[in-house]
Order: sequence, then structure tokens, then C-alpha cells
Amino acid sequence: MTTRAAIAGLGITEMGKVYGRSATDFAVDAISRAAADAGLSLADIDGLYVNPGIKNDTDLRLQSTLGMRNTRVLATIQGFGSSAGQMVQMAAMAIEAGMAEVVACVYADAPLTEGKRAGAAYPGQARAMKGVGSLPFAAGLKAAPERYAVATRRHMHTYGTTSEQLGAVAVAARQWAQLNPAAQMREPMTLEDHQSSRMIADPLRLLDCCLVSNGAVAVIVTSAERAATLAQPPVHVWGWGQGHPGYVNRRDSEFGLVTGAAQSGPEALKMAGVGVDEIDVRELYDCFTFTTLVTLEDYGFCAKGEGGEFVASGAIAPGGSHPTNTGGGELSSFYMWGMTPLSEAVIQARGQGGERQVPQHDLVMVSGNGGVLDFHSTLILSPHQKGK
Amino acid sequence: MTLTLIDAPAGLAPVVRDDFSAPFFEASAEGRLLLRWSPSSDAWSEPAARFCSVTQAADLEWRESTGAGRLVTWTVKPGRAKDDQPAVATVIGIVELDEGPWLSLLLPQADAADLTVDAAVRVAWSQPEGSEVLPVGLLV
Repeated sequence: MTTRAAIAGLGITEMGKVYGRSATDFAVDAISRAAADAGLSLADIDGLYVNPGIKNDTDLRLQSTLGMRNTRVLATIQGFGSSAGQMVQMAAMAIEAGMAEVVACVYADAPLTEGKRAGAAYPGQARAMKGVGSLPFAAGLKAAPERYAVATRRHMHTYGTTSEQLGAVAVAARQWAQLNPAAQMREPMTLEDHQSSRMIADPLRLLDCCLVSNGAVAVIVTSAERAATLAQPPVHVWGWGQGHPGYVNRRDSEFGLVTGAAQSGPEALKMAGVGVDEIDVRELYDCFTFTTLVTLEDYGFCAKGEGGEFVASGAIAPGGSHPTNTGGGELSSFYMWGMTPLSEAVIQARGQGGERQVPQHDLVMVSGNGGVLDFHSTLILSPHQKGK
Repeated sequence: MTLTLIDAPAGLAPVVRDDFSAPFFEASAEGRLLLRWSPSSDAWSEPAARFCSVTQAADLEWRESTGAGRLVTWTVKPGRAKDDQPAVATVIGIVELDEGPWLSLLLPQADAADLTVDAAVRVAWSQPEGSEVLPVGLLV
């Protein structure tokens, strides 16, 4: 399959510790900004996909809030961290099928409360402790840090990955963030800072964990032909893929070792008709440092088990051979689920990255990761229309 | 038979039964660990499984496990000091039972320094207030 869809608009709201606004407020703001960025009005939008975050307090009824009439495609999408990639895929298919012409995709969340620590925003699964399915939660595997910690330790034991190598991911992200005026965390960070940061869930330290942000990000997807007439350089969608491993809790599980990126990455590359060696820029979901490392392995940027050495070599940092998470990622810039890597991918593909712009940016690979490495999406984006 | 219970450790949350889990908790009250087993595949699955984790067969039955296994991975949550009480670390492990399924278990008596992959673990039992009897793990 080929695709003629392109991302024509990007809207990023004020981000981080921004209080007094609901997720819906942020979503309206992001979509308005994305439409204006594209040179469109809200009345031009005839499709809407809404991805609510952890607070789950916005949905497809955003249509009426925006005053949209006669909307042609409309849904709430929930693929957790893989949602942004999924929304772009569905928008592109809707455009390809003639179901809509201009589709807005938005993620919005407002989990932070003034005066409360960030960790309180994600207290863990809010499920009733009922039945045997609750046993892992009752035992203490509730929130993301401890659940990613057991995955990380399995990788460390199997492949010899070290905490210092995870720290290299955090330091690289911070180095990129220092070049990004919009990043929340821009203070210098050293490997020693990482190693001395407090333990959250061993082996994951504070600086292995992403930020928590209030805000929203929206993109506008339309046909390549329409995008060419609009205000911004089009970012063409060359390929996409999804991979959802469905880990089983038993002896042969690959949990912690192989993720859905190993399926969705090759599918997206195949659709795009390019090899992984041709990718110029990587924008990877980095809820934890380990997620970056294992995704690099599963996409094939290094061999399985060699992610630690790869990141410690400086490959992903500014000036490295494999520029990755060039805005600072979720670790140092802001946490908007899959919209964090997608928004930076659009900026890089357009060549609008300023001081952090990667000179060679013909192909950008974007990952989305949800659950505990359970749900994965991939996009391949380019400033060039495929085949032209 | 009198079941010996371990004092409920901090961090072990109460769980109540539903219809599906009633046989599991009937057995846990007697100190017996039940898993799911498929007669068509002779494969074992975790207690929450609705379908065989190997073949997706829908013929799962409850069957008793030995309760013995080995540590696959773990995390240590350092805890927070409160009101002059020192922080209490919590060790949570994924244990691969000898039959194959994994269980996530609180390891209430484990010293983090003693944790190694493949360490032998056996299931023991504890009962937080307002809860069914729940499995925990002890290093052997």
C-alpha cells in the first residue's frame, strides 16, 4: 500500500506545570494551534480523533466543544502510548478512502495538580482489587515504574545491560533538551547525577523516569495534494505499523526482552520501502530510559542485547551517529504520550528544529509504546513525497 | 489442616473474590495454590487465564501446583519514611513456577542482597485485613 497522506499542521500548547485548565481546554487550544499552523480554519476540519490521557477526561464529544458540524470521521482512540501513531494511521486511511479531507488528531491530559507531587498523578491501576487478575497489583506491581523495573532487570540480567548505560540515555536526552527552548528540563545532567538520583523502583532511578506534563498536542492530517497548498512544509506519511505482543505470563515469555517494536518497525519500514539503515532521525517513546534502549534494539539500529553498548557509545546524543529524541523526549522535554515523539518528528522533518535540527532529515522513524511494552505503533515520515 | 499464615506485610493489598476466582481462594484458604491447566494441551497457565496460554484452548480447569518455582526478575521499592518510622523496602518478584506459569509475588522476608535470578522460591500465604488468603513468596 502507498499513502498520499501528509501532516500539514502541528499544535503544541503551553506544557508542563500549567494549572487551572482541563484536558478539553488543552485539546481545543492544541487543535486551534494546529489548524492555524497549517493555514486552515476549524471549519476546514471534517475528521477528529481524540486520545485522552491517564485522566481520561476528554473524548469524541470534543466535536461539539469545537463547534464542528457534519463531521465525517470521529472517534475516541485509546491505544495508550501507541495512540498517536494509530491516530495518524487511521487518519491517513480515512483520507485515502475518501472518508474525510482534513483530520485533526489530538492528545490531551491534565494529570498534575498544583501542590501535589508528580508521582501522585500516576498512582497506578485504578482497578478494584477483585479476583485473581488483581494479584500482581496486590503484590505491589501497581504503577509504571515498578512494572517497567521488572522488565528492565530481566534485560539487564539476560544481556548485561547496566544502570550506567541507562544513564547514557537520560544524559543524551538532556543534552538534546538543552538545545530545545520548549523543553521542561534544560539544566545540565551528568552520568553521576543519574547514578546519584534516588531509586524509584530498583533498578530504575528518578532520572530513568519521564516527566509528567499537563498540556495537549494536535496534528492535522490531509492529502499530500492539499498539504502542498498550505502554510507549512508537508510531512509525508510513508509507512506505518503496529505490534502488540500479547505477553503471556509463563516460561517462554519475551517480556522485558523483545517488544512490539520488533513487529511494528519492520512492517512500517516495509510499507515505506526503506531499510532501517536509511533512517536519519529516531523519535522514540521514552517513558523510561529502558524503553529507548530496547526499542533501538527491536527496530534493528543495533543487535539484540547490544542496546546498552550502543547508547553508551554516544550514538544517540547530539553529534552522534544516530540522533535520537532530538527534542529531549519524554525524559527531559515533556510527556504527551506518543505525541511527544510525533511532534518532534514533524519539527525535524520540516527542518524547523533550530539549534537541535539534524542536518540530514529525509526519513524520520517514530515509535509509540503503551502499557508495559504491550502496545506499539511505528510511523515513517519524510519531507519528501514518496516516489517523487 | 491448620494453615500457617505469614503476618501481612506492608504493601500487600487486600483482594476479594469474584465468581471466577472462588475456587482459587477456597484453595488458598487451605494453603493450596491452584493454576489453570488445559487437558487438551497438557499446558499450565496463570490463575487469571481464561484460555490456554499455549494453544488458546478454552478447556482450562483448576489444578493444584507444587507452589515451587524460581525467581525470574524483581524490583525493590525503597518506600518512604513517615512520622519517625523508617522507610521499609518492598521486594516484588516474578516467579516462574515449576509448572511454567509466572506469578507476581511480594517477597516479604527477602533481603535485596540475597536476590538472584533463578533463586528458588516457594509460595507461602498471608491474609491482609479484609482480604482473601493471598500467595506471597519465600526464598528457599
